[in-house]
Amino acid sequence: MNKELEHSFVEQLQKHQNIVHKVCRLYTNNADAHNDLFQEITIQLWRAYPKFRGDSKFSTWMYRVGLNTAITLYRKSKRRINTQDFDAVQFKIKAEEYDDTEEQQLKLLYQAVHQLNDIEKALVFLYLEDKDYREISATLGITEVNARVKMNRVKKKLKTILNP
Amino acid sequence: MDELELLKKDWKRSDNQYKSFSDSDIYKMSHKKSSTIVKTLFYISVAELVFWVLINFLPYVLSEKMKAQLEEMSHSWIYVSLNIISYLVIILFVYLLWRAHKAISVTDNAKKLMESILKTRKIIKYYVLYNLSIALISIPISLYFSINEHPEISEQLSNATTEKLVIMSLVAIGITIAFLGLVWLFYKLIYGILIRRLNRNYQELKKLEI
Repeated sequence: MNKELEHSFVEQLQKHQNIVHKVCRLYTNNADAHNDLFQEITIQLWRAYPKFRGDSKFSTWMYRVGLNTAITLYRKSKRRINTQDFDAVQFKIKAEEYDDTEEQQLKLLYQAVHQLNDIEKALVFLYLEDKDYREISATLGITEVNARVKMNRVKKKLKTILNP
Repeated sequence: MDELELLKKDWKRSDNQYKSFSDSDIYKMSHKKSSTIVKTLFYISVAELVFWVLINFLPYVLSEKMKAQLEEMSHSWIYVSLNIISYLVIILFVYLLWRAHKAISVTDNAKKLMESILKTRKIIKYYVLYNLSIALISIPISLYFSINEHPEISEQLSNATTEKLVIMSLVAIGITIAFLGLVWLFYKLIYGILIRRLNRNYQELKKLEI
């Protein structure tokens, strides 16, 4: 493939890579798995890139490919080994920014989100990224009404996990 | 405060806490080997096609007697037309699989993507079912003909009572069905394990529609 295309791809992905990191954060729970999924999403983005026409924003397009890879395409690779808990390593919450109770609450919240199923995680992810129901429904292929219904159920489920 | 709002606040703050990959990291990663369910399904489909084609071909290659027999049969129009039909079926399946694989697009919405992948699996499922049905018909028939060609056995059989013949035929058919059933179960098990997660997620999206 031509160099120019490759260059513009790498440049854009480098700039927006946090989107991919965030998908990985929700769908994996250790550093190796995170990097493995990051790599697979990168491969899928690059393969799909020649067909990216720019009628949507690069970042919007990334959400779709990223989530599709995490939910549907990705197969855990065998070389993956379980190491330390990821949130504890790379996302060490800075003590000065939070008070103790909030820090504790957030830790529990992230743990609760990790207990959700793949589709529920996708809804939470898009919600956290400030996507509206129109975009959520278009990304997942469900109606807006159903996206709302599902989101309410996810909120309830999170509450139940947090306060059993 | 709503739990998710609290999470969102932290989520936004976490932006600068991710490891930042450089351009060259990303370049290297994008050229690595991918490992996806689509790829695995594709390899399995190809293996299925090759497997059943080989099953049909091997007797011809391995046994001289069989080769001579088949050559003799090649003059019969039934044999020739059956052969043509079976090749046409293989070509049809290859075409359907190729089309289904081409339709898989990572930029579709999640539900559509899952449907496209499940469709390729369905095609190969029909292909396996087709081959099993052919086997179900041809195993008893070829058994019948090979017994007929064997003078000792056929003589023994001609002395047997009708009751005995019926029982023997039923046993032969029963064994064939049991054997093919096992092949089918094995096949279902492999695919079941392979696409368990995909199926679960698809059902989760589908459930919302009801």
